[in-house]
Amino acid sequence: MTNTLIDGLKERVSNAIITNQSVGVILPGNNYSDLIQALFEHIHSRPEDVWAYVTITRPYESIVKQFGDLASSRGNIKFIDCISRAAGLSKIDSNCVFIESPAHLEKIIMEILNIFRNAGDNVQKYLIIDSLSSLLIYNDAQLVTEFFAHLTNRTRLSDIHSVSIAIEEEMNDNINKIIYLRSDKIIKLRESFI
Amino acid sequence: MAAYAVINIEWIEEISMSEGMVISEERTTEENVVCKTGIDELDVQLDGGIPVGNTVLMVGSSGSGKTTLCMQFLANGARQGERGVFFTITEPLFKLTKNMQGFDFYDKKLIESGMINLIDLRIISERLGLDAEKYTVEDASALLEVLKDIADELNVKRLVIDSITALCYRLQTKEMIRDFIFKLGSSLAAMNCTTFLTSEVPPNEVKYSQYDIEEFIADGIILLGDVDRSGDLIRTLQLIKMRGTTHSRIKSAMSISSKNGVELTPLLKSRA
Repeated sequence: MTNTLIDGLKERVSNAIITNQSVGVILPGNNYSDLIQALFEHIHSRPEDVWAYVTITRPYESIVKQFGDLASSRGNIKFIDCISRAAGLSKIDSNCVFIESPAHLEKIIMEILNIFRNAGDNVQKYLIIDSLSSLLIYNDAQLVTEFFAHLTNRTRLSDIHSVSIAIEEEMNDNINKIIYLRSDKIIKLRESFI
Repeated sequence: MAAYAVINIEWIEEISMSEGMVISEERTTEENVVCKTGIDELDVQLDGGIPVGNTVLMVGSSGSGKTTLCMQFLANGARQGERGVFFTITEPLFKLTKNMQGFDFYDKKLIESGMINLIDLRIISERLGLDAEKYTVEDASALLEVLKDIADELNVKRLVIDSITALCYRLQTKEMIRDFIFKLGSSLAAMNCTTFLTSEVPPNEVKYSQYDIEEFIADGIILLGDVDRSGDLIRTLQLIKMRGTTHSRIKSAMSISSKNGVELTPLLKSRA
């Protein structure tokens, strides 16, 4: 069942992000790992693309532990970890930029743009925000809304495709509104998805 | 009525095109006379850069990034072939270079080649036999002459004094401060040299200088500060004034990292 779910997610997300500038994925918390697995499999299969993965949900180290080579072996993905420093973890890794606080939203934008600035013009650029709803734990909803509006403006200008994840249980009206308003396509995972 | 409208539109279009051509010519001229800081977002906010010869007050409290921004300004200029000089009065040179070594923009070769010159003003004062604590009018004149001579001899296009507050502390009256900054700025402008004067102010105070006079003499003011967000301090930068350019006045979030030095992005407006 899990493999079927991951394959299904992978296919839908893959197709959606290639053809759309911004994709919102809304899913229940218990399917979160399946989605991440599907995303990493997709990234692994496209080594020619450049990816930036912003994690607000779990520390970079934890992602690497769970997904190992799938998350980093191709060298086409850079991480921005917004929570390890705030939690007092001080690991240094050349594949990851550690931001001191998930409240420093402007710094997140700067680091995203820095990753793609060095990528060159002839590559496809993709961004994953994992997750928009987790930002609400650390920030005011209005601020997260403004952050997302600002970020999508910048990514559109720079021709960066984005996937924004939102965990259903963490959603509120503001995030719901903006993810629908700012995404070209929404993938909503339900029990009857596959 | 319709005919009138058509004529009116034609007239507007004609004027617009004509103005457009003039603006374009002016910009071409202006592009030759701006000093690019080399910090992309800042140059955008400055509509290209700082007009050459301007004296700019870099205002901020302790730890706001004044010295780093000034050093990056010099390093970026040196890489474009513009020689610079950094006069320090608050920090010994070895400490200054040690602090800068962590930044990618810092290159020892720029100092060794003479593209960036670091000078301790206290040593100059000593050599001139000036009182370390208080300058007389004659002392101030002597120091001013030395600064001008150094800038002239080295043919510098970028000059930093860190800090004007510490220097003004030694100049005993507001008249002396006004006279010193005015004469320094005028001389350097004549040499096409763009100057940054760092100004120390207490945190969270709307104040551009310690002696309430420096900002009136300066051509530009760049204000560095902090905003508190959920207990975290976010660095900010705002252009308050810049003579000779149409500049932005938005508040930007500022980041300082070893890799990229100073970077800016618009500050999100928290309504929390």
